[in-house]
Amino acid sequence: MQSETAVSQGARSVVESLRARFGAAVLEETWQAPDQVTLTVALDALPEVVAAAYYDCGGWLATVVGNDERGLHGHFALYYVLSMEQGQAPYPWLTIRALVPGHRPQFPSVTPRVPAAVWYERELRDLFGLEPVGLPDTRRLVLPDDWPEDLHPLRKDAMDYRYRPEPVGEAENYPFVGPEGEGIGEVPLGPLHIAQEEPGHFRLYVDGEEIVDADYRLFYSHRGIEKLAENRMDYDQVTFLAERICGICGYTHSVAYAHAVERAAGIEAPPRAEAIRTILLEVERLHSHLLNVGVAAHLVGFDTGFMHLFRVREKAMQMAEILTGGRKTYGMNLIGGVRRDILKDQKDAVLRLLRELETEVTELVEILVDTPNFYARTRGVGRLDPQIARDYSPVGPNLRGSGYPRDTRMGHPYGAYNRVPWQVISETGCDVLARTLVRCREIHESIGIIRACLEEMPPGPILAEGFSFKPYAVGLGWTEAPRGENVHWVMLGPDRKVYRWRPRASTYNNWPPLRYMFRGNTVADAPLIVASIDPCYSCTERVTVVDVRKRRVQVVPYKELQRYCREQKHSPLRD
Amino acid sequence: MLRLLRKVVQTGQVTLPYPFAPVEVAPDFRGKPVYDFSRCLGCGACARACPPQAITVEWSAQRGVVTWSIHYGRCIFCGRCEEVCPTGAIGLSQDFELAATRAEDLVVRAELQMARCPGCGEPFAPARELEYVRASLEAARGAASPVLAARLQLCPRCRRREAAARSGPAGRRQGGGSR
Repeated sequence: MQSETAVSQGARSVVESLRARFGAAVLEETWQAPDQVTLTVALDALPEVVAAAYYDCGGWLATVVGNDERGLHGHFALYYVLSMEQGQAPYPWLTIRALVPGHRPQFPSVTPRVPAAVWYERELRDLFGLEPVGLPDTRRLVLPDDWPEDLHPLRKDAMDYRYRPEPVGEAENYPFVGPEGEGIGEVPLGPLHIAQEEPGHFRLYVDGEEIVDADYRLFYSHRGIEKLAENRMDYDQVTFLAERICGICGYTHSVAYAHAVERAAGIEAPPRAEAIRTILLEVERLHSHLLNVGVAAHLVGFDTGFMHLFRVREKAMQMAEILTGGRKTYGMNLIGGVRRDILKDQKDAVLRLLRELETEVTELVEILVDTPNFYARTRGVGRLDPQIARDYSPVGPNLRGSGYPRDTRMGHPYGAYNRVPWQVISETGCDVLARTLVRCREIHESIGIIRACLEEMPPGPILAEGFSFKPYAVGLGWTEAPRGENVHWVMLGPDRKVYRWRPRASTYNNWPPLRYMFRGNTVADAPLIVASIDPCYSCTERVTVVDVRKRRVQVVPYKELQRYCREQKHSPLRD
Repeated sequence: MLRLLRKVVQTGQVTLPYPFAPVEVAPDFRGKPVYDFSRCLGCGACARACPPQAITVEWSAQRGVVTWSIHYGRCIFCGRCEEVCPTGAIGLSQDFELAATRAEDLVVRAELQMARCPGCGEPFAPARELEYVRASLEAARGAASPVLAARLQLCPRCRRREAAARSGPAGRRQGGGSR
């Protein structure tokens, strides 16, 4: 294939330029696929090599994986996975691997050079006890504040997956970081967020009504599914567990996981299975985008539009029910393909629903953007600066609203995305408006993709069978979820298990830059900004306000903040 | 604004009176798995495949029974049990109304007798599974000789002993001498 040659040439030229600069520091070069290369580098050179790949060779940080490989060769391994986006898509993947000796669990932090690595390195410290030397942020990320000091759950010898340690303390002691000084107030938002009922604790630093900075504490619902998958489940069972990472875009995780295992084991799912997966991924995007646009309408006070968008969204739920038997969790994947075929009746029913949905969405989106309030509330709000975006590798409509036409479906085609016509949508406004418009336009691309796939389904089987698994082979899987790129990294293990599975959800890359998007906006816009990254969680239950100037703490109920966001009258912060 | 009003009027009411009127689901809807005791072999294929471990199979050699159970509170309605069941003893239905006031009401349990080995008297496999294997072999290869049929009823350990005894001293030497 021509594109395959081009993509491996791209990878080769990146490898050559890194070798030319770092020569002896590059210890090993291995190829997992024509578009995937892994360079093992000396631990000391890790930050320089990652920074060079990131900023000088068009790299975007896809994921960072820690792995306890002491049982295999006495070391922990670090994998920094980058998507190398220079020239024309499709792009190659570059993994920079470094080994950390088991007796000296430290590594030089990459974050001072590449800010995008900050969460990943905090996570490595929590879950593996690997100390990122030079990482400015010494707080926990994943583990709760009352977790024992020296217990790192993902070390193979740390604990049984069912073990739940006693809390070591009662106090909530997470130190939020923000500016201090005359006139700066604090607004804690949370522990539940404003649009979807999931926990996250925000601290907004305000000067009067204006947000000057923000910090947040998440991972309240970290359940240790990686540990569970490694210990208790077999390959096929994890596809169902992966689907439960997200209640909105779970199927994207299931597909990314299945692709990762399939690539590691050298299995190719039949073309018909990939077409079915693609259709379902887009059905999922339809309902997710309609949900988010609906929530945006709700937050700007346009509730009739919200109700109607949700009414139309029901058609996408029906499509899923017809095709998979479930409205939300599709349960369609096994390693090697899918479990249900699409029959003629189902295809016709879905095409009919698709036509109805298309007409209605076009009409509703026109009505929404014609609402006078809509532009006023969204334009210029929650600006994601292109340079901040470049530094933090955010993904999805969040990034595409800031002028980067980056979409994994195009950058690293999978499924049937390179067999049907569609285009990457991007906007240049960098604000809430741009992100919402990207989603509105993407709904139409999804409709086109589903229609094209349904009308030209490749014939043949839907499940590859009779393959063998290769213990300790490594594979990468990715999907463009409605909220951005998901990346799953898998190392196969013995006994039909995964040795290590590292799912990275899209929102993981979108949280760190959110802080910059808050700055300069008003408190009333905060719910709108958070909802505009379409986070995999929402609905702030209540809001506490700390005004440093007045030395005062105030709790604002969630409904009050939401009311303020919608009406913009009678600030709850006033006396 | 006028367009919106027109839209509202055109659409009319879309909400359903559920739960006062039933809701129809798609023909292939994945609902509550229904268990058919009369077909179950107790082989445990469903329990092995079940991702959330909603289905479990426990052996009690002491009582000589296999306990099969499903906990609907854990079920994710994926239908893997239906896919792997050799006899169609479990299959998804269209029923999604599973609410119960007591947690125990979400559990279905069944006990199956185990066959006892005529050699040592120990229970070693569900009787129905053993019968299923015998019938499958018969369907594929015709009726077994009395010797083979008798051997099928033995537990794995007694079968090894019997095979070793049959092959005589030479066989025992080649076998590596586990005892």
